[in-house]
Amino acid sequence: MIRWNQWSALLLTSVALISLPWLLPNDFYLHLAETILIYTVLLYGLDIVVGYTGQVSLGHAGLFGVGAYAAGVLSIKCGLGFWIALPASMGITAAFGILLALPALRVVGPYLAMVTLAFGTIIQILINEMDFLTDGPLGIKLSKPLIHAHHLSVVEYYGVVVLIFVLATIVMNRLVHSHWGRAFEALRDSPIATDCMGVSVYRYKVLAFVLSAGFAGVAGCLYGYSEQYISPNTYNFDLTILFLLAIIMGGRKSRFGALLGSTIIVLLPKLLDDIHSFRLTACLLAGAVLLGSVVSIRRGITTLKAVWIPVLGTVAIAVVSFQLEAMTDWRLSIFGVMILLVVYYLQDGIVGFSSQWVRKLKLADRMEQSIPFAAVDVNRAPITAQSQHSSEPFLKVSNVVMAFGGLKALNRVSFSVHRGAVLGLIGPNGSGKSTMMNVLTGLYKPTAGRIEFKQRDITGSDPSAIALNGMARTFQNVQLFGEMTVLDNVLVGLHHGFKSGLFGIALRLGRFGRDDQSLRERADRLLTMVGLQHHANELARNLPYGKQRLLEIARALALDPELLLLDEPAAGLTAADIVELLSIIKVIQAAGISVVLIEHHMDVIQAACQHVIVFDFGEIIAAGTPSDVQANPKVIEAYLGA
Amino acid sequence: MLIVDHLEAGYGKITVLKGISFEVPKGKIVSLIGSNGAGKTTTMRALSGMLTPHGGNIRFKGERITGKRSDQIAQLGVAHSPEGRRVFTSMSVHDNLILGAYTRLRRGEASKRIQSDLQRMFDLFPRLAERKTQLAGTLSGGEQQMLAMARALMMNPDLILLDEPSMGLAPILVAEIFAIIRRLREDGVTMLLVEQFASAALKVSDYGYVLEHGKIALHDSAERLSQNPAVIAAYLGGAAGH
Repeated sequence: MIRWNQWSALLLTSVALISLPWLLPNDFYLHLAETILIYTVLLYGLDIVVGYTGQVSLGHAGLFGVGAYAAGVLSIKCGLGFWIALPASMGITAAFGILLALPALRVVGPYLAMVTLAFGTIIQILINEMDFLTDGPLGIKLSKPLIHAHHLSVVEYYGVVVLIFVLATIVMNRLVHSHWGRAFEALRDSPIATDCMGVSVYRYKVLAFVLSAGFAGVAGCLYGYSEQYISPNTYNFDLTILFLLAIIMGGRKSRFGALLGSTIIVLLPKLLDDIHSFRLTACLLAGAVLLGSVVSIRRGITTLKAVWIPVLGTVAIAVVSFQLEAMTDWRLSIFGVMILLVVYYLQDGIVGFSSQWVRKLKLADRMEQSIPFAAVDVNRAPITAQSQHSSEPFLKVSNVVMAFGGLKALNRVSFSVHRGAVLGLIGPNGSGKSTMMNVLTGLYKPTAGRIEFKQRDITGSDPSAIALNGMARTFQNVQLFGEMTVLDNVLVGLHHGFKSGLFGIALRLGRFGRDDQSLRERADRLLTMVGLQHHANELARNLPYGKQRLLEIARALALDPELLLLDEPAAGLTAADIVELLSIIKVIQAAGISVVLIEHHMDVIQAACQHVIVFDFGEIIAAGTPSDVQANPKVIEAYLGA
Repeated sequence: MLIVDHLEAGYGKITVLKGISFEVPKGKIVSLIGSNGAGKTTTMRALSGMLTPHGGNIRFKGERITGKRSDQIAQLGVAHSPEGRRVFTSMSVHDNLILGAYTRLRRGEASKRIQSDLQRMFDLFPRLAERKTQLAGTLSGGEQQMLAMARALMMNPDLILLDEPSMGLAPILVAEIFAIIRRLREDGVTMLLVEQFASAALKVSDYGYVLEHGKIALHDSAERLSQNPAVIAAYLGGAAGH
């Protein structure tokens, strides 16, 4: 259904774009339309970085320039044609992307913004200085691409741009709806959980940036041939800011938002050039805001108090427009005020705001009832059974020390887990249980000691590698991908099952379809197991707390683990929920998956575990069967209370 | 003190609360019990203004507070100690507590009285006194829970909303938290309590309401509720006991 809508929207847009040359009065307007489409292709790429992975890039004008110059240099200096220059500029710009991303994304924080900012500045200077390659400040002149010894006309070249725009739209859509797109969004919402699902955050951040640079390269090449003149001053810092504004104004994570944002940054300055078109724009804007506000207030979805400033603001701009005689002095100020209004009032962009507004209007008519949660269903649980026979301990922790500064959170801890066993970890808050989990899953590198998993030393390995090796976990403070649906959360856990690369995703090769279908079925069965099958399309953050814990278990099981670490799964669960949780743990154990269970509910420990170890101040103070440790005076004093 | 009348609330297009009504009388402790997804936390969030209700009415001290902003509701004297503690992790314990008294400082209340309340908190929670200068983020889960409660009390509120105070705490600390609630009850604090340990919650409460699928299924005095066979079977069963 949604697929069909997307295709028809794309088809309509393409038909409209193709018919533009016959509708527009002259080539000037066609050139504007062409620029809008080219910017949109670049914005798709920027959206991957800004909208999906939540990073900020301040170097996309630089990458745009790299793409344009790659095309220019290849064509003038090497005599290569457009059809070779296009993929080549994509590749070259992507290569620049790798150079930037590899060091910048290794650290968390605003480093990508800093590095890309520097890159943007350096690339402009380099282009100016490298006379021998770029002809310096003079720039490079290009002629339109050749086909059969005939230079394409302006209209024909516009056709080429439309074609590439449509292709880029399809590729972008497929990309963001694939396992790659899910990985990008997951690492934005919770990098820790993403790593622990076997999806390397670092690798996918770099991948996102490189893809983004690829889009910028294509756009740069198209732009060079569109302008037929490439000069260093075009690709300056102002353009980078304009691109970011376009994404924010149009709306993140939306193809239509990118197109709209690009239209605004190309057309708005032109509209402000001329007093008559400015008056028209200002009146239309004021009218739209006024009408929207009146409708909203009458339908009761907003109040006068909330809308009077934007209404008054836009009306004031319209009034001022009739007071002004000429535009020249005011252009920039007015452009600034308009952008400020959008950024201030439409934080989700125009597309995001409009779709929310429409949804609210519909909502005012009809409230949906919440669907009751289904019971946990452990029959036919979709858990891959693990081989059971082996008397060797398959997780062996020896003398692990974890120090934070002077504080030893873990002090020479040793224990082991056998295949198919459920081991309980108990102890006071702050005694080191969760630190132990973080050391096991690679989030912390232990100060000393050794961890062996399946007879292999995994001390200090990457979290994603450990996860793929068969160790899955849940988190004490729930780490779901909040802005993603319940189903997508589980699909991130199933990421390891998708084998397609870029071409598989872009071309929707048979294998991608098969993987996608079978893994979605698997995800559906995992959700049925935890009683969430009717809430698959809900955002994970809207689930009640206890259900979020169950979703985390389903997501962890999607990894096909041999060892599952559960960090306080019963916290926040009612008595009835705990019974369901215990039945899930039973099924997990029956499939031969070993479990390490941190829990404060002693009845859960009693029911689920064969063996318990007790932590206090980073050391093991007792070990034995649940009944043994509950009778141990040291445990009673430190933990249970009389 | 608090009168809730046919309150409806939810997230996005989903309605969670389908018209619930209850009262919290002055000086009493009222418990909301119910399974996951029944709407307990949603009720708390709607009361403190973190969620705009879709319908119904909330009156506090006779004043209508439905749809008011959370800072306005806090000014009126409702303190929310949220699920998952939410202490200011990069500030010291002392500063967290002083921030709790922000509304009083703004009203220009004498700092002497605030200092004496601070002392009262350290008496009530001796563990916090020991860790006065420590950053809240470095506290253990149980200490953070105490801090969240003390921070809410520093507001000198007329009503406290206490959401899941025992979640994720060691058994010995759960007992300590309930002992503190009992002390607060003796001091005459008005409280709405949401707690998974329904049996323990009813023991410290005066009244109880059972939420099921966003509706009040049952309400009674806490004592009678804890003897009701249906409630025992559904909410007080073996798993809640210590």
